[in-house]
Amino acid sequence: MNRKVYLLAILLILLSTASITTKMVRGGQMVSPEFSRHLWRLNIVMNLKGKGMPAKVRLTLPKNTERQTIYNEHFENDEMVFYIRIRDKDLTGNRVGFWRSELLDGSKSVQYTFSAQLKSLICSIPPNLTLPLDPFKSYPQEFHKWLDPSTFIQSKSFSIKHQLKKMIGRQKNTAIVMRRIYDFVRGEIRYRTEKRSKDAKETLKNLVANCGGQARLFVALSRAAGIPSRIVGGIILSGGVKNTTHVWVENYLGGKWIPFDVVNNHFASIPNHYLELYRGDYFLCKHVGLSKFEYFFIIDTEKMPPVDNPWSLYALPIHFQSFAKVLLLIPIGALVVSFCRSVIGIETFGTFGPVLLALAFRGISLWVGLLCLFIIVFCGWILRRILDHLKILVIPRLSIVVTMVVIFILGMMIIGFHFGFQKILFVSLFPMIIITWTIERFSVIQIEDGTPSALKAGLGTMLVAIAAYYLMAVRVLRVYLFAFPELLLMIMALLLVLGRYTGIRLTELWRFRAFNSLDNRPDRRFF
Amino acid sequence: MTFRPFKKYGLLGINRRNACYTLARNPRALYPLVDDKLKTKELLEAHQLPTPELYFPIRRNYELRLLREIKFLKEFVIKPARGAEGRGIVVIVDKFEGKWKKSSGELLSIDDIEYHVSNILAGLYSLGGVDDQAFLEYRVRSHIIFRAVTYQGVPDIRVILYRGVPLIAMLRLPTRESNGRANLHQGAVGSGIEMIEGVTLGGVHRDKLVDCHPDTRIPIAGIRIPFWNQMLETAVRTFEVFKLGYVGIDFVIDHILGPLILELNARPGLSIQLANREGLLPRLEAIDALGQEVENLSWQERLALSNQIVAKRSNGKR
Repeated sequence: MNRKVYLLAILLILLSTASITTKMVRGGQMVSPEFSRHLWRLNIVMNLKGKGMPAKVRLTLPKNTERQTIYNEHFENDEMVFYIRIRDKDLTGNRVGFWRSELLDGSKSVQYTFSAQLKSLICSIPPNLTLPLDPFKSYPQEFHKWLDPSTFIQSKSFSIKHQLKKMIGRQKNTAIVMRRIYDFVRGEIRYRTEKRSKDAKETLKNLVANCGGQARLFVALSRAAGIPSRIVGGIILSGGVKNTTHVWVENYLGGKWIPFDVVNNHFASIPNHYLELYRGDYFLCKHVGLSKFEYFFIIDTEKMPPVDNPWSLYALPIHFQSFAKVLLLIPIGALVVSFCRSVIGIETFGTFGPVLLALAFRGISLWVGLLCLFIIVFCGWILRRILDHLKILVIPRLSIVVTMVVIFILGMMIIGFHFGFQKILFVSLFPMIIITWTIERFSVIQIEDGTPSALKAGLGTMLVAIAAYYLMAVRVLRVYLFAFPELLLMIMALLLVLGRYTGIRLTELWRFRAFNSLDNRPDRRFF
Repeated sequence: MTFRPFKKYGLLGINRRNACYTLARNPRALYPLVDDKLKTKELLEAHQLPTPELYFPIRRNYELRLLREIKFLKEFVIKPARGAEGRGIVVIVDKFEGKWKKSSGELLSIDDIEYHVSNILAGLYSLGGVDDQAFLEYRVRSHIIFRAVTYQGVPDIRVILYRGVPLIAMLRLPTRESNGRANLHQGAVGSGIEMIEGVTLGGVHRDKLVDCHPDTRIPIAGIRIPFWNQMLETAVRTFEVFKLGYVGIDFVIDHILGPLILELNARPGLSIQLANREGLLPRLEAIDALGQEVENLSWQERLALSNQIVAKRSNGKR
């Protein structure tokens, strides 16, 4: 029997390990080996303060491109209306998140968290490529936007055209032209941080600019030369908190968008810590109707590669992902209960009551939760004693106790909220039926077996709930369970082994302690 | 608190009892026969095994009106069919000015009794809270030899049968703490029984070894159990009816009718080892060593086998 159980347990463990490794290897396989890979976790926090009128905030969100994969996205919208639009009309394809509120008064904090897997990119410009004679004819319609001048990129203006002429003369080779433009902007324009980025003309005039001004000049010169060129905005990732963004340039050369960053000297290449957020000469975020707006990025490294197959939990809608997270906690709790019962030997009210209690305590925090539970059970118990005198049939009596438990919980919510203790609202997640049965069992055991027995079972229930709570709070466990639900098979294997544990329960050592004194006890038997 | 006694005496723990004995030897299909005391009773009566006489069952709420009949009864016991650990049992010892006197002396009106029975029917005392049935039966009056070591209630004798062979036995004496119930969990005193002669050894009360009854202060060792051999014989024959591999049989000894089977328990507790100062494992293993044919032995042979096995005490004392 034991052999079969252990075999099955080993089989389950192997199965889950196999599945996990496949996922991990497959997650890694999506990255070609020539790219170095970087995983990051970003949290973009926006603090808003309304002034009692309609408010709207816009933030461009990162997209999956050939060099970046966005996964594990999570939005905390703080009760604001939230929606995502893809900008197809202006050909940028930017992904823009909107947060709206019809009447925003007071402060809000909107958070957007995601993980990104980034690759570096090193390109080369085909050496025999030449500039087209008429760029508007040789490039299809959708590239015209990247050839036309725009407000801050005055590629048709005289000073830009003149500068380009001075640099390249009659040179037609694209690679050489790109190198000249790059060397000019990198060599002649001094870098200085500025409040507002200059446009291309101003930059050329002052010969000093921040990354925005330099990129605009670079784009203007490229467009003047007849190369489709665009600004790309994003964040240079490094651990910590920051609120600076960065822009660089992409030129369409030889059928491919090739990145250039003049400020940090990346010619036709991009390192693996550049996160792209938007394309085109845009702003990262915009807002209307706010009296205060600030944002910052909290950047950390991520350890889990994207498990972005359509069969993973990450594929579920965000809202249901949180349900799945709660579901995953139940087997952990059940494991704790099994261990406490069969190895330690703690008595509890109901088998899985402690698990549900531990789940309910997550919102309200452990000690407050225990206090609330204690108050509810105590009041319920007093009520139950009173009902006993009235000789009510069991089912209606239980229903009365359920109703009273609901009333207590609602009362606690109202009172707690009134005095500004918002967390108390989570008391509504308490498992009311389990609590009712606990009250009932407590009363019955107390009458039948005495108060110590009832208190012992109550204490046991609490201990197991606390243990389950703390194990459920282990973050690593939750994260890995969510990424690899196969781990549940391992929990099953553990439970199988626990199920064949025929050794002594720890509490039995105490129960049979009298045997220790047996040897030195005078034998008072009658024969 | 050490592991030593578990090795030295061969103590059986709950996990091992569940995994290797109750789960392995007691087929699930037979549990209802012992979990439902009404079914047990019917089966025992059908095989002419002695049990307290059933007055009438109350299976539904509308049958509560049957309780009007008790005005003709002076003493009886109300039991839930699926009660655990003696819960929900009310012993009526006398009728007194239209009210019934409980063994504790409390007086109950007909309303109180009806309320109690309806609680039983709704499953308040049953395992898992499922709907239950109640029944009234003959009230056993204790044999006179136990008077001095009993506080109210009736003592009972539990014999544990493993594959039809009696292995260990214990006399359970009600105390004030247990409210007259013979259940060790509730504070009754258990006393080990020397299996060959049927004489009590020392006792155990709430995990502690005791020599005297805590209420009456009378020594509990050295009582010769009346009808001992007849009781063992009944126990062994019960196996042919119930076929449970690991079972506790609870007897009471009525002062008129002699030994009666009160109930069977498919998950008998482990304190019996404390009461006997003796682990169960050596005896269980001695029977398992005999292989498959134990179940096919006749009851006389199994009785002889029992005598042979219990003669060896693990700690060498006799």
